[in-house]
Amino acid sequence: MIELFRAELKRRWLLTRRYAGESIAGILGLAAVFYGLFLSAQYVAGPGLHFGSRLDAIVVGYVLWSLVVFILGDIAGGLQIEAQTGTLEQVFLSPFRGATIFIIRAIASLTLRLLLTIVMLLLIMALTGSRLSFSPTLLLPLLTIVLAAYGLALAFGSLALILKQVQQVQILIQFVLLFILALPTEGWSGPARWVAWMLPMSPGASELRAIMARGEGLDWGQWAIALVNGIVYFAIGLSLFNWSERQAKRTGKLSGY
Amino acid sequence: MALLEARNLKKSYVEKRRLIAAVQDVSLSIAIGEVLAFLGANGAGKTTTIKMIAGLIRPDEGWVRIADRDPHRQPQALRLVGAVLEGNRNVYWRLTPEENLEYFGVLRGLSPTVARQRGRDLLERFNLMSKRRTIVQSLSRGMQQKLAIAVALVHQPKLLLLDEPTLGLDVEATQDVKRLVREVAQEGCAILLTTHQLAIAEELSDRVAIINSGEIIAEASTTELIQQFSGSTYRVELEVPLDVDRMHKLERLGISAQTGQPIVVSDVTTLYQVLDILKPLPLLQVQKDQATLTDIFLTMTRKQNGHD
Repeated sequence: MIELFRAELKRRWLLTRRYAGESIAGILGLAAVFYGLFLSAQYVAGPGLHFGSRLDAIVVGYVLWSLVVFILGDIAGGLQIEAQTGTLEQVFLSPFRGATIFIIRAIASLTLRLLLTIVMLLLIMALTGSRLSFSPTLLLPLLTIVLAAYGLALAFGSLALILKQVQQVQILIQFVLLFILALPTEGWSGPARWVAWMLPMSPGASELRAIMARGEGLDWGQWAIALVNGIVYFAIGLSLFNWSERQAKRTGKLSGY
Repeated sequence: MALLEARNLKKSYVEKRRLIAAVQDVSLSIAIGEVLAFLGANGAGKTTTIKMIAGLIRPDEGWVRIADRDPHRQPQALRLVGAVLEGNRNVYWRLTPEENLEYFGVLRGLSPTVARQRGRDLLERFNLMSKRRTIVQSLSRGMQQKLAIAVALVHQPKLLLLDEPTLGLDVEATQDVKRLVREVAQEGCAILLTTHQLAIAEELSDRVAIINSGEIIAEASTTELIQQFSGSTYRVELEVPLDVDRMHKLERLGISAQTGQPIVVSDVTTLYQVLDILKPLPLLQVQKDQATLTDIFLTMTRKQNGHD
């Protein structure tokens, strides 16, 4: 398994290096979009506007969103491309399970992507003047978000396995995710709080905002909820992917596009 | 000993609310070191059968065993399978040949060191060493196909599935692929080969299975099948026109010969009598009426489809 991860990491690194223009353009594009939105908001609100910790929270939400969209696109998008180019069946000719291969792939590409995301984060902070704190504890809520994101990615991957074309749904879901990740659920109470706990990645995102934007310490109770949220979404995604693999093999649609 | 055993495979699909039987009752076996040519028209069920053997399509009924392992239930059975699938790229076009070989080697369960070493050996053997660092996209079609076969062999499978391996290749690349198939079979790999180029199937295969509308309609040793469909007549062609005197002599043997036409002789005893009459005229060729796989394939499929 470790060797497969290393092989995937090497493959991703080779592709990132060989087609560096694509990766850099993606990062610069995302940073530029955020800066554009930031300038527009400043222009509309006038020169006296100070975002303060809200800006930091928005930056955290935006960067998280870009990471989640990447994870989502990596599995589902990768599956669609491989079905189109005809390498998907060779991947499924492996003694490793399909879900295992695609999770390892997603982890390998996330490892590289995290480096690029840090570059983007620093770029946005430099452009907007946002000041975020980088405590090591932020890795814990980040883990819960990544778990849930992989769950969603596997769920979309399962759709891609069966339908092969899910680009339109993927575009739509990106905006829903932006909404979920930027939603300030911290202030919610009563039944709304339960809804916040059940939304994918929302408890983790709220915890991350508390640590990075408001400089608070980790709330272990909240983190436990975020972890359960991540595990549940991951388990659902994994089950759906395994089901779709069986279904695609039953209907002979593994390679069809 | 049979390395591959597939018994009573059936597969149907629902297409536009109609149930289509792609494979109806296919049984196949291939021994170690044997090449089985699996022939059939487009849509006859070849690819579906190959994918059922490779664990990529689940059969509705029947079973597959590769060295006594079920590829649908025991993923480790896939360590024994290598495949080049028709219409697929089979390799990553943005990687180089050596990167593809290393990556797929690990994906098939090898360590990176072993995968790299085997990759280098295969690149040398397939005459691709000079192109090892060229992006696959930039390679010729023939080289890409040779690489796809090399990738399918990197984990030293016991069973190689080749779906149209010479499709779209030029003469030289086709010769290369044929040589490689022969070598791999000699090393003990069982090979299932599909091709529409029946001359290639005839040249490479030990046995032939013909599939038509999802059913196996013939399965036999290639030599036996050709013998079975070949006649016992001989054709004698001369370099010069036949003179009247010899024509009369041939007529007395019951052979009607015409100038410029081959002389058709019904059996081997008469053949030597004919050759005595023709001596010392220069001969162009003496040929036994030999069926080709193309003749056999067309005869059998037409018969099955009720054309004759």
